[in-house]
Amino acid sequence: MKNFRRDLNIFLRTVRGRSYPRLIGMQREKSWIFFDTFLPLLATTAYVFIYRALNAPPEFTGFVVLGGAMTAYWLNVLWSMATQLYWEKETGNLSLYLIAPTSRMAILLGMALGGMAATTLRAVTVLLLGSLLFDVTFSVENWGALLLVFVLTLVALYGLGMIFASLFLLWGREAWHLAQLFQEPVFLISGFYFPVRNLGFWVSIGASIIPITFGLDAMRQLLYPQAQWGFLDVNIEIAVLALLSVLFLVLAHRMLLWMETLARREGRLTVRGQ
Amino acid sequence: MSTESIKMNNWHESARSFRVATWLGWQIESNWTEPFLFMIYAIARPVASALILVFMYMVIAQGGMGHPLFAYIYLGNAFYIYVASVMIGISWTVTDDREHYGILKYIYAAPIQVYFYLLGRGVAKTLTATVAVVITLAFGMLVLRIPYDFLAMNHALFWATFFLGLGALALMGILLAGVALITARHSGFIGEAVAGALYLFCGAVFPLDVLPQPLQYIGLSLPLTYWLEGLRRAVLRESISPLLAPISNEIILVILLGATLVLGLASLGFYRWCEHRAKEKGLIDMQTMY
Amino acid sequence: MSQRFAIQTEGLGRVYQLKRKRGETAPKTLVALEGVDSEVKQGELFGLLGPNGAGKTTLIKILTTLLLPTSGRALVDGIDIVQDPQEVRRRINMVSGGETCGYGLLTVEENLWMFTQFYGLTDRVARERINEMLEVVGLSDRRKTKSHFLSTGMKQKMNFARGFLNDPQILFLDEPTLGLDVQTSRVLRDFVKRWVRERPGKTLLLTTHYMAEADELCDRVAIIDKGKILACDTPANLKRRLQRASIFKLQTTPLEMSNRFSDLPGVSKFIEHQRNGHTELNFILENENVLVKILDAVQAGGGHLLSLEKREPTLEDVFIDLVGRGFGDEETPLEVEK
Repeated sequence: MKNFRRDLNIFLRTVRGRSYPRLIGMQREKSWIFFDTFLPLLATTAYVFIYRALNAPPEFTGFVVLGGAMTAYWLNVLWSMATQLYWEKETGNLSLYLIAPTSRMAILLGMALGGMAATTLRAVTVLLLGSLLFDVTFSVENWGALLLVFVLTLVALYGLGMIFASLFLLWGREAWHLAQLFQEPVFLISGFYFPVRNLGFWVSIGASIIPITFGLDAMRQLLYPQAQWGFLDVNIEIAVLALLSVLFLVLAHRMLLWMETLARREGRLTVRGQ
Repeated sequence: MSTESIKMNNWHESARSFRVATWLGWQIESNWTEPFLFMIYAIARPVASALILVFMYMVIAQGGMGHPLFAYIYLGNAFYIYVASVMIGISWTVTDDREHYGILKYIYAAPIQVYFYLLGRGVAKTLTATVAVVITLAFGMLVLRIPYDFLAMNHALFWATFFLGLGALALMGILLAGVALITARHSGFIGEAVAGALYLFCGAVFPLDVLPQPLQYIGLSLPLTYWLEGLRRAVLRESISPLLAPISNEIILVILLGATLVLGLASLGFYRWCEHRAKEKGLIDMQTMY
Repeated sequence: MSQRFAIQTEGLGRVYQLKRKRGETAPKTLVALEGVDSEVKQGELFGLLGPNGAGKTTLIKILTTLLLPTSGRALVDGIDIVQDPQEVRRRINMVSGGETCGYGLLTVEENLWMFTQFYGLTDRVARERINEMLEVVGLSDRRKTKSHFLSTGMKQKMNFARGFLNDPQILFLDEPTLGLDVQTSRVLRDFVKRWVRERPGKTLLLTTHYMAEADELCDRVAIIDKGKILACDTPANLKRRLQRASIFKLQTTPLEMSNRFSDLPGVSKFIEHQRNGHTELNFILENENVLVKILDAVQAGGGHLLSLEKREPTLEDVFIDLVGRGFGDEETPLEVEK
């Protein structure tokens, strides 16, 4: 019990400690607002005009705006959490994190929560301004389910991010490039800009390993109950997301330990310029 | 030292800076893995981004790939791969050299022509982007059956437009490198964010006419708009945009040339200003990761 | 391993697998540590002395749980570093000289505070320790400065302060004064000495290639080269090995064929350096009488004596005596083993 309290104390303080630089950094270097919020809004707008050029039904504008908002979280997971360990290694901080008696998940969670403020601002900006500019109206009937889907998506997504991060303990630039590889291809197979069911059943099922696939699909169904673009029933998608949340967090915990041991064995934890 | 020999010296320095930076950029870009895997990684991202558009079109048009609009947007989208690649290749150099490798201060302390160094560092990404563009176009022709005929295209217009556009992109990369000099490293790439935003204005994937009028004016002031229009006219032999159609091919080229020159002056001047500011505030070797 | 030591290693070894180049079939390896046996008592200030690439940092990485050994075992505060690394981490900290820590956008104080959180320190304790350490390293007036505006030396001081924040039982200092000015190095050395003396039970393992630093600070010193510990004792005892020997430094006009000295009876070791247009010869002699023969040999070689100095043995002489080369003469010793 004493150990549990001690470990919990260190865990929570680590989350707080590592989220602090993110929060402070955002205040001290405000240029991110332009690059990470305003410009992505314009990029999302471009996709709206593609649908307009194709005379798509109005709900597609809503699909794009939601997809554009959710890209923020996917990019946050990739670049502010998973790849961050690569940068920490390159700047010499990683070894200092690792010799501390703290949980690696706490460090990653701290990064994620610290970055969440900027990410959420970007997502909300895209969602709100996108909706206002393009007159998007959502007709939500089940707010509880919508919130549940959103939270489960984020939990599973950040669990997946921690699994990626574990690779960075071992890899160098390979993982950096892997993160790049997971950007547009995931926008494609997870249906960020179009309903995922258009990719066909098996591709959509395969893509569901990325939590945002079912997260987006379920949210679109809940935001447009009348539209017939959903892939699976929302309840099934919620169940899968819940399963993924637990699975990814457990896997992340194990992967981080396993990869750390592997990296210690191979002497990669402190190797820079890989 | 005579003026002639100073000029010669500058020329040698510029050539050397470009050559070394190209070699360095290629090493950084490619030597982390086997060549085959490297090509997969280099190509997958831009090709996926082209396929997003294909699916968006397919969802709405229900497979009507023969429509001229599809050929128009697919071509624009394929060449747009260059935009992010060239701009990231050049502008990321500043952040990477400063915060990752810690060599920016040494670059500045060396007898190197910094513009040529930056351009050289962008070459590797431009080359991989070229492969991605070719694959995307080949995919469009072979799989999606888009009837592009590159043999019968207007070669003079195509190559003149193509190289002028690449020059404009490189200059935009230098402009963004200036921004990178005086700003912190954030999680994303500046070049990518700007490329994403320009996607809206330059008619890459839809005719400019679709945009509200104020946004059309922004589009008309960008060299990228004329670059993509010129490339499309060269390949498709027609313009699909009522807004741009009345402008002749020659005028498109002249506007592209003029806009590139203006951009060149602006970006070189802006970079100089940023450089001065960075030196003034001691930002050349700052570490801003958070 | 019954008695509880702060650090104890048995046959500790580390071999790195190197990447094979194209066409090479045999696996390439690099032996960084080999059969290291050592025992560091609690409350001891223990030095690890060796040239670059001797294996000091590899040993520290293993003991601080950043690297697994490929053979042998190591206990830190009685805990196996392989079996229970997390428990080891509760008791240690590490400072590597020449390195910085934290984030450039944070102030000195904020960076240090962040690290205290990884050890679960309350804000009050964290603040007290940060204040104390900033005072020690002379950064109190810079506490609100963003760390990317600090000079390299100041960043190193901040990193030094970080190492003490969790009040570790065992602290690993890897070349802590590397690149620091003389005055700062002195202040840090004094603090390190006080830290161990005034806090019973605290142990400090220091790696350095500065002889004087090891000599001044350490209760005991282990001399390490090419991954092996060659000797381990107090600095005084190590130097006592050379008690009966005579140590001379000669400067002469440039000499060639200096290997002739190796043939002289009574010369235990000698090292030659060419410096700024003259030759420097360092000798360890069995007795002083041999010097006459050396001077004759210098004259016979066409050289002229510029200066002659008799020295008390230093740890470097011990190293030369053990290894047969100086610290700066990595792989190509000029001396001749007798």
